[in-house]
Amino acid sequence: MSWKSARTAHCAGAILFALAATAGAIEVDPTLPDYRPVSGVTGRLKSVGSDTLNNLMTLWAEGFNARYPAVSIEIEGKGSSTAPPALIAGTAHFGPMSRPMKGNEIDQFERRFGYKPSAIRGAIDALGIYVHKDNPIACLTLPQVDAIFSKTRLGGHPRDLRTWGDLGLGGDYADRPIALYGRNSASGTYGYFKDVALYGGDFKDTVKELPGSSTVVQGVASDRFGIGYSGVGYKTADVRAVPIAEREGEPCYELTPENTYAGRYPIARFLYIYVNKHPARRLDPLRAEFIRYVYSRQGQEAVIRDGYYPITGFIARQDLEGFDLAID
Amino acid sequence: MSDRRGRSTSLTARGEPFQWLLGGALGLALAMIVGLLMLVLWQGSNAFWPRPLELIELRDGTRLLGIEVRREPMPGGEGMRRLLRVGNFDLYGEDFRWIAEEAIASTRFPADAWMVERMEWGPFIGFLIGLERDGTLAETDGDALAEAHREARRRLREIRRIERSEIGAINHELERLRLALRRSELRHGVDSLAHRAEEARIASESARLEERFAEWLRKAKALRESDSRERVVLADVVGRRISLPLSQVVRFVRPNDLSLAGKLEVYLDRWWEFLSADPREANSEGGVFPAIFGTAVMTILLAVLVAPFGVVTALYLREYARQGRMVSLVRISVNNLAGVPSIVYGVFGLGFFAYLVGGTIDAWFFPERLPSPTFGSGGLLWASLTLALLTVPVVIVATEEALAAVPRSMREGSLACGASKWQTIRNIVLPRAMPGILTGLILAMARGAGEVAPLMLVGVVKLAPELPIDGNFPYLHLDRSFMHLGFHIFDLGFQSRNSEAAKPMVFVTALLLLAFVFAINLVAILVRARMKRRFAGSRF
Repeated sequence: MSWKSARTAHCAGAILFALAATAGAIEVDPTLPDYRPVSGVTGRLKSVGSDTLNNLMTLWAEGFNARYPAVSIEIEGKGSSTAPPALIAGTAHFGPMSRPMKGNEIDQFERRFGYKPSAIRGAIDALGIYVHKDNPIACLTLPQVDAIFSKTRLGGHPRDLRTWGDLGLGGDYADRPIALYGRNSASGTYGYFKDVALYGGDFKDTVKELPGSSTVVQGVASDRFGIGYSGVGYKTADVRAVPIAEREGEPCYELTPENTYAGRYPIARFLYIYVNKHPARRLDPLRAEFIRYVYSRQGQEAVIRDGYYPITGFIARQDLEGFDLAID
Repeated sequence: MSDRRGRSTSLTARGEPFQWLLGGALGLALAMIVGLLMLVLWQGSNAFWPRPLELIELRDGTRLLGIEVRREPMPGGEGMRRLLRVGNFDLYGEDFRWIAEEAIASTRFPADAWMVERMEWGPFIGFLIGLERDGTLAETDGDALAEAHREARRRLREIRRIERSEIGAINHELERLRLALRRSELRHGVDSLAHRAEEARIASESARLEERFAEWLRKAKALRESDSRERVVLADVVGRRISLPLSQVVRFVRPNDLSLAGKLEVYLDRWWEFLSADPREANSEGGVFPAIFGTAVMTILLAVLVAPFGVVTALYLREYARQGRMVSLVRISVNNLAGVPSIVYGVFGLGFFAYLVGGTIDAWFFPERLPSPTFGSGGLLWASLTLALLTVPVVIVATEEALAAVPRSMREGSLACGASKWQTIRNIVLPRAMPGILTGLILAMARGAGEVAPLMLVGVVKLAPELPIDGNFPYLHLDRSFMHLGFHIFDLGFQSRNSEAAKPMVFVTALLLLAFVFAINLVAILVRARMKRRFAGSRF
């Protein structure tokens, strides 16, 4: 379920997908349907999980609520790790997560219910490596990123990178240490970054662990010598996303939707919503309609409004099949 | 003075340096508090003031229209640059742009530039093209637009009313019936006669409701259709057009063309929206009414819960218990409770109240709703109880002090007249101690209203559009999660997509919370002053 294994399927989707590259704004895959409300959808929904997905879940909830005023949706987002316990305890209907569930989380779920949780991929997020807007750094390779953030350097970079001078910057950057900003360990962004950019290694102790994605960006924005990672949706005018190359000697790719869809930008991921669905039974109409809404044109427009990248019709159809839901 | 004391007096013996030190410390503390208050007040009261729209033409021919947010020196130290809020997120994919001043060819403030606040996508900054009715575009002026806009908003409110109140009530009924069915299934068994009869009754009742439901839905749909036919067409600074339903516009503002009175009107209108409307765009726009309401209801409930506990405990400790080792131990514990970090209370509230007590309540009283929890997850009741625990030391200490301040002669006089101990406490001691007790209680409320950390665990959520009090039985919904001003500030500041755009909202919300706590404290002072006056006249 990881990004890389999904990449083949993903590229097929990318071909179908025409991007409005000139505008700077992304458009939703035209093969996604308009959402048409059905009757008889009522009740309460509760979502507990990722704070990366917090705003997006809220936007979806607002849109869903506008179509079904009688549905009340509560949203709580304190980190991806809070989603599996809430799903297992039955306190949440949806568990948004910014990383796939880990093996032991799935095991715990399976022990309780006898089947595995189902996931939908609601949006695509590319993690930006942000620096202050005046920072002249042109490109970073993933092993360099690893050597900046990690003390284990599993990416194979020969030496530790401590100052901006180590990265070849001159002027007043040359001997200034790199100030590291990152997320706290309950966050799925933390886990994902550790797996992909740190090759599973450990963070340095000097990384400032902050409680929200937006806080990381604010930290970097106010620190000329800072660097941090956060979802593309949180980028502001005060920070710059550094182009990233997967390996030494490969070309650098900007953080753009095109590069992300084509799989060239190396740190991109799906954002998941986990659901407790019995494999033999149909989903109740309330949750089913919410999922259909997420995969509709309106739902994916909300993804753009939140700064993330919408999924393609190909992925939507693939996921909906798993839920016995037609995309019409 | 110091001359007379001579050289032999040491520095410690002289008062002046310490006087200066203490006075200075006080001054510093005051300056910091005042500074913080002024910052919040200034930023908060400024946020809604309409700012001019600047049309900037760059040397390379690029045209930009937006609001200047701030300036700072260029990194090299030469010249300045400006941060411009350009809006139009749907067209540009960004809200803000930095512009170096040396690249600017000309700036002007066009009178016909509009700032259009929308329900979705944030503000649109550009020019008005016209109104589109049933597919035909017609030019329009400010007055006609305002008229049409008022009409469209009225229509939208009517749609909302139908969907929220009428359809909402029917849905509530349907949900009640579904639960009744499930309950009877649990009680009588699926195949029993009693369950069959219940099933038939519920089916007929739901059919009747469904019919009414469909009727309202038709009405709402018709209104929606007529609503979507009236659209407004706008163009950005380079002429790219968008059109959106007129009712999706919250406010049309032409800031460069407004008189002072007009600006004031927009300013007050924005404040009113902030105080009375629901949040939009993942809480970064719109109002905070649910958060104000949630904070108020929780604070009142907190007072109702904490008052009896605190006062009764203090009465026993001060009036009845034999003063000894045991009582001092209890006192020390109470004082220590006041020093426990509030997040610990949150964890306790979640584990004990929500999971243990709430889970048991669910299993006994709401089996038909399982597995969705009713009281088994965070909610209004558990949040208030947790905060009551957190603030009970404040009330106990204040009450004890108030009781101790009642003169011994008054108690003895009452006892000497033949009154029992309880009569003395009720008629002599408690009334005199009342101002102190109330002050303690209100201070506890103020502390509770400003607390956030434990609430995040026991029932405060980012979005809870349903208020904890509404027109559906049982009116006060203690099990519902709710929104809170303090958490709203945290959420806006640390979680919103665009932290730059959310900044003014953070200050406004902080200002509101400060005003709320200030109001509670003010009430405390007034109540105490009133009561003191009342007893001042009736001394022996």
